[in-house]
Amino acid sequence: MTAAALDALLGDALDDHNPVGHAAVLAADERQEMLAEGERALDTYGLNAEFVPVAHGGRLERADRLAEVLRTLWRRDPCLGLGYGFSSLIASVNIWTAGDEEQRRRAADLLLANGRIAVAFHELAHGNDFAHAEFAARPHADGWLLSGRKEVVANVRRAEAMVVFARTGAGAGSRGHSQFLLLRDGLPAGALRDLPRFHSSGMRGVQLGGVEFTDCPVPPGALIGSPGQGIEVALRSYQTTRSVGPAVYVGPLDTALRLVIRCSLDRRLYGGAVADLPYVRAAIARAWADLLAMDAFSGVVLRALHLEPEAMAVYAPAAKYLTARILLDAFDDLRAVLGARSYLRRGPYAMFQKLARDVAPATFSHVSLAAALVTLLPQLPRLARRAWPDGRAAAPALFDLGGDLPALSLDRLSPGMPRHDGVIGTLLKIADGARADDSDPVRRFAARCRDELEALRKGCAALGPEDLTIDASPAAFALADRYTAVLAAASVLGVWQECGTRYPAAALLGVLDRLTGRMGGPPVLTPAERADVERRLFDLAVERCLDSRLLDLSARRVPS
Amino acid sequence: MTAAVFGTGRALAAALDAALLEAAGPGPDGAPGPGGAAGRLSAELDAAEEFPAPFVARLDAFGLPAYYVPAEWGGAGADHEILARLWRTVARHDLSTMVAHGKTYLGAASVWLAGDAGQARTTADAVLAGHPVAWALSEPDHGADLLDGELTATVQDGGYRLDGVKWPVNNATRAPYLTVLARTGAAGGARGHSLFLVDRAALAPGTWRALPKEPTHGIRGVDISGIAFEGAALPSGALLGGEGTGIETVLRALQLTRTMCAALSLGAGEHALRIAAAFTAERIIQRRPLLERAHPRASLGRCAALLAASEAAALVGSRSIHSLTGEMSVVSALVKSVAPELTDTVLGELAELLGARSFLTGVYADGAFQKIWRDHRIVSVFDGSTPVNRAALVQQFPRLVRGYAAGSVDAAGLAEAVAVGGAPPGPLDRDALTLLSRRGCSVVQSLPALARSLATGPAPEGLAEHAAALEATTAAVHDLMAAVAPAARPPMAAYEIAAAYELCYAGAACLHAWSAGRHRHQGEPLWQDGLWVRAALRALRASLAAGLRTAPPDPAPGDDRIDEPLARYVAQAARTGAPVTPFGAPMPQGGHS
Repeated sequence: MTAAALDALLGDALDDHNPVGHAAVLAADERQEMLAEGERALDTYGLNAEFVPVAHGGRLERADRLAEVLRTLWRRDPCLGLGYGFSSLIASVNIWTAGDEEQRRRAADLLLANGRIAVAFHELAHGNDFAHAEFAARPHADGWLLSGRKEVVANVRRAEAMVVFARTGAGAGSRGHSQFLLLRDGLPAGALRDLPRFHSSGMRGVQLGGVEFTDCPVPPGALIGSPGQGIEVALRSYQTTRSVGPAVYVGPLDTALRLVIRCSLDRRLYGGAVADLPYVRAAIARAWADLLAMDAFSGVVLRALHLEPEAMAVYAPAAKYLTARILLDAFDDLRAVLGARSYLRRGPYAMFQKLARDVAPATFSHVSLAAALVTLLPQLPRLARRAWPDGRAAAPALFDLGGDLPALSLDRLSPGMPRHDGVIGTLLKIADGARADDSDPVRRFAARCRDELEALRKGCAALGPEDLTIDASPAAFALADRYTAVLAAASVLGVWQECGTRYPAAALLGVLDRLTGRMGGPPVLTPAERADVERRLFDLAVERCLDSRLLDLSARRVPS
Repeated sequence: MTAAVFGTGRALAAALDAALLEAAGPGPDGAPGPGGAAGRLSAELDAAEEFPAPFVARLDAFGLPAYYVPAEWGGAGADHEILARLWRTVARHDLSTMVAHGKTYLGAASVWLAGDAGQARTTADAVLAGHPVAWALSEPDHGADLLDGELTATVQDGGYRLDGVKWPVNNATRAPYLTVLARTGAAGGARGHSLFLVDRAALAPGTWRALPKEPTHGIRGVDISGIAFEGAALPSGALLGGEGTGIETVLRALQLTRTMCAALSLGAGEHALRIAAAFTAERIIQRRPLLERAHPRASLGRCAALLAASEAAALVGSRSIHSLTGEMSVVSALVKSVAPELTDTVLGELAELLGARSFLTGVYADGAFQKIWRDHRIVSVFDGSTPVNRAALVQQFPRLVRGYAAGSVDAAGLAEAVAVGGAPPGPLDRDALTLLSRRGCSVVQSLPALARSLATGPAPEGLAEHAAALEATTAAVHDLMAAVAPAARPPMAAYEIAAAYELCYAGAACLHAWSAGRHRHQGEPLWQDGLWVRAALRALRASLAAGLRTAPPDPAPGDDRIDEPLARYVAQAARTGAPVTPFGAPMPQGGHS
């Protein structure tokens, strides 16, 4: 099964009679329900098998393939993407990472039978600060007694199983929590109470629930890994799921951009098509460059899960942070182009407002933007002092999107400090000898990113102890933010330059223009170069749309 | 109905606060308040997509419609700063309510400009009696481009007949009166349209029909609908002004209404800032409140600063209606773009502080934040979207460049315009509203002189540096403006330069308003050491550098002592109900969570 097979199953999005087309997706959203026909289609497809490692009977062996399938789903309906897809994925990665054979088998059986596993980590009072989560598990007989509340948890009421994050030790140390795999029907009646559903402004179909446990006994076999391992397992698992997230964000942006392009071609303003306005063409070109930046960066990071696993403690939060920022900014820019059409819940562009609401949680879900930067901060001085000067470049295969990969090995992911930063090493290799006044704009971009890295190196090496924590100064946060932009630009340079010339040259310039814009300072392109690049990007984007091809780097043909 | 009479805008606003909070009766604790029954009622009406009738009724009972009617027609609409403050007050409780009610001001504005005595009398009586007036400009296939409107008015039996569709239009179904733009001449021409005052009750049955309410992303309860005419006969007296003057009247009326729309952003921004600031003080992460951490403090400080900048731009703009009337073609475009844009930025940043609480509809302050966020998205779209306003500004670049080079300033008008919260401005000379500003923009063109005076006179630490740097950037922006070639369809770069000019305007408005108000506000925490104006200039300069793609600004002396006092003040004000902006008003207490 492939993303193309899922696309075929989901059919033409614009066909009003398609039970999983946009009209049906919007109607389900209005009812605040999951799209039942969509869930049935995914049952048919066996989506859950994408989350189950091949060793346990599923299809998971490559993170990029997993992300491609999930992106397809998120392109159609983020509610299905989260409510059917992502939630069980996050839960199960923890089990593959640290569960015993019995737990893995149970999880695999459940998922392969189209069941669900909820991820019950979140408590409203603590949010991302899960080291201070209050939900507790106390030793009892030979098992545990669970007490406390979990809130705003997708699918928790209807999932057959859940992975629960609970305090098992005193204090807030990193060894104070553990994870448990619980099967709903194995729990004694009365020990578990479902909280009323939490309603939300976006992802309205996803059933966000909550549970309250009161001295609920669970058997010893429910514990995932060993006591106190909860945070470590979560941090390792997040390296996978926070890498998949950025890649799936491309899906809703693809659909939104497609709507805007269609609108700009169809609607008339000032005696011409909306697309005749230079402002509109530039906005579309830039949003497409943003999409390609997200795709290239997340594509490299997904490959790094296989090829540079020790760097994932840095790459995963960096990707999650920057792609979420780009995504939300791009939606804002596109909203301005659509104008009143961005606001109507009916009509040919109604999908836009739904997607805009659905992507809003990118700021906080799974990890908040600020928390992602806090994760990066303690890594920066070491990267600056050792990894960047060392300059070891990644193998070109890291950038060969779609190329061969060894099977995903979650064991190789660790929450520790990376010694190397291969993506940055590749930047240094590409930028070797590049000058800021080169006639080739790509060389100028490379020089610019290298110079930015040098400024970052000085800044990061000088960070004091307080700047490596949540108490860091805004200036320290800004360094972490700029690092993510340099890392993304380096990924993009690698993708375009390390593996032949399969992607359009104008797109490279457009993407680098957008990413260097995020670093601050003067543009690398001259105004004329920029206008030319954006003209070519607009034409290419329209061509892709009219040809029913995806706007991402795959340019795959899709049903609509 | 007569307007309640109060001494100052502030007292009026307080009375309006009270009226709104009473709309839903007391909360469970007996105290009315934003976290009490009124907040819950707003949330419920939004969830049910119901018209905010209980709040609108309160506004009518309060006499708010009188402020939409000029004094000569028996209203209280003498001072647009007062009106801006009243709108802000309503918007900080419920933006949907303000959008629903304020539409009457928009619909009626053209009548005061172009109507004869009889038309004005009729409209004034209707508005004062609490009847809404809609403004029917948009058509299904023509939003921003008024010149291409297809609805026609053709001469028939000594009057006119209307044929065509207006959609989407606020209050199109509820309003008994509509001012309708219709084509009476050649398509696409500036003189091809006329404006009509339509009395729905006088239309023959079957010649018009209401189009259903459109479900919208935000302002879900508001009557966003349409009206279709088919041979609807109008008497000749329905024509407002001369035939062919419709576009000009609309463009002049938009100078008033676009300026006032900024008040919606001020209210939405204040509402959101209070919610997020209260949360920042309460939220414990790693055993300490967010407010004790530098990064969230910087966020909160930046949001407060940008809101203060929006306020300065909007209130100086509202006074300029009276004092710099001939410049309103520029000022209205600036204010209509910059206040919603800065507020959208603020809402995005506050949403990051609030996390899941920016998204859940029932968890914190009745889920008010996500509603504000959805509701406010329309402000940058209606009554002329940001791209439309920027395109309009670009057309005036040559005049603005000349005006800046010459240092042209209407000194008396400027002094009156920037005296925010001071003596009421003089009466509005509606005939002075012109399609192009001959002088340019006094607020910006006086910036060099103002920066010089700050450099030589007493000023809080760092302010002179910020002012000088803003002036240098403003000069550079004018160089860029001078290089934009005139074009019917300007390039993206021109829009970006227009956006930069808006920020220059906001910065200049801040400096002027601070300078004019510093003695009157002495002792207020936000005015201590020029706290708000330094914060605003710092934030605007950072935005300018990002937009213009120049190096981030170097800090000015004292910049490192802005975030903490500002964030702490705002968090405290969210708790006590003190004003959160330099020209703000206290918020009646009731708590937020």
